[in-house]
Amino acid sequence: MKYLWIQLLLMAGTGVLVYAFIRRWDAAHTRAWKRMAFFAFVIANVYAVLRPQDVTWIANKLGVGRGTDLVLYLLVVAMAFMTLNTFMRFRSLEKKLTDLARTVAVNDGQRVNKERFAEDDAVLPVGSER
Amino acid sequence: MSDYDDVWLVIPAYNEGTVIADVIENARKTFPNIVVIDDGSTDNSAETIMTTGAHLVQHPVNLGQGAALQTGFNYALKQPGAKYFATFDADGQHQTHDVEKMVALLRADEADVVLGSRFIEQTGEVPWIKRVVLRTAATISPTARKLNLTDSHNGLRVINRKAASALRITMNGMAHASEIVATLASSDLRVMEVPVDILYTEYSRSKGQSLINGVNILFDISLRERGRK
Repeated sequence: MKYLWIQLLLMAGTGVLVYAFIRRWDAAHTRAWKRMAFFAFVIANVYAVLRPQDVTWIANKLGVGRGTDLVLYLLVVAMAFMTLNTFMRFRSLEKKLTDLARTVAVNDGQRVNKERFAEDDAVLPVGSER
Repeated sequence: MSDYDDVWLVIPAYNEGTVIADVIENARKTFPNIVVIDDGSTDNSAETIMTTGAHLVQHPVNLGQGAALQTGFNYALKQPGAKYFATFDADGQHQTHDVEKMVALLRADEADVVLGSRFIEQTGEVPWIKRVVLRTAATISPTARKLNLTDSHNGLRVINRKAASALRITMNGMAHASEIVATLASSDLRVMEVPVDILYTEYSRSKGQSLINGVNILFDISLRERGRK
């Protein structure tokens, strides 16, 4: 019972992570949430530095012994989000790179092969192409 | 003029410079239209392909076999008169008489997609460990089961224009084989499987899929829908 709240909190973090993973990622409102989370993070940081005893107080309320431990737990969740975010970003970039490279390859290929086979085509009688 | 003017062989090649010319010239005895996708090879593949009668499409960077196949389809679809598209391996393990057989089925309009299988009839010899893994892959894959496939990872496929236009391979790496099967299973395309002979040469063995790569494939597939825009 002692750890109930911190357990709920961490489970919720994991739940949101899984949800974000399954859902479409790049929607605009997801980005808005990410930005809001970032600002909350900054404010929490400043506050935690100025009044570390409050962090310990919150930690105690949640059933965690020390404020430092709470920060560590939250850090793990934050890192999981960051990893996921980076992974998604790479996937998206990879897809763009593929589309770009494919377009370049096909365009170049058409030009080059047209030149290479220009003579062959001239030999073929007109209309032989189906 | 050949009977196979409307067939395009799509051959993805990555560092296959030592064998690619032979494979192309051999295939060109039957199939005049070949497009080879040089997937950013670092060897002399591109120069070698230039000396053959095959069309060359070059990826500026290495993207993976799945990406190369999709590029090949995109290119071949733009060629006038192209009706049937065959995916063919660059290492010489596939045989043109199998492709002829498969094209005949498509011409007869018996299917939109014909996949090669190593396991329908045990015509050639498949190394036993490969046999076990590939059969397991086909059996546990829900989509392969739905289509009653015996071999979901065969590189030899012949598809018609309708199927080629419908295909969108997004898995750049080796997971594309499963992705193709999944796409087929969720489409209304008619899929058929025919037995083919695979030549397991010294060379193709050395280049072939290592079994540990199956782990990568499983991982890629499980994340297939993720991170798409």
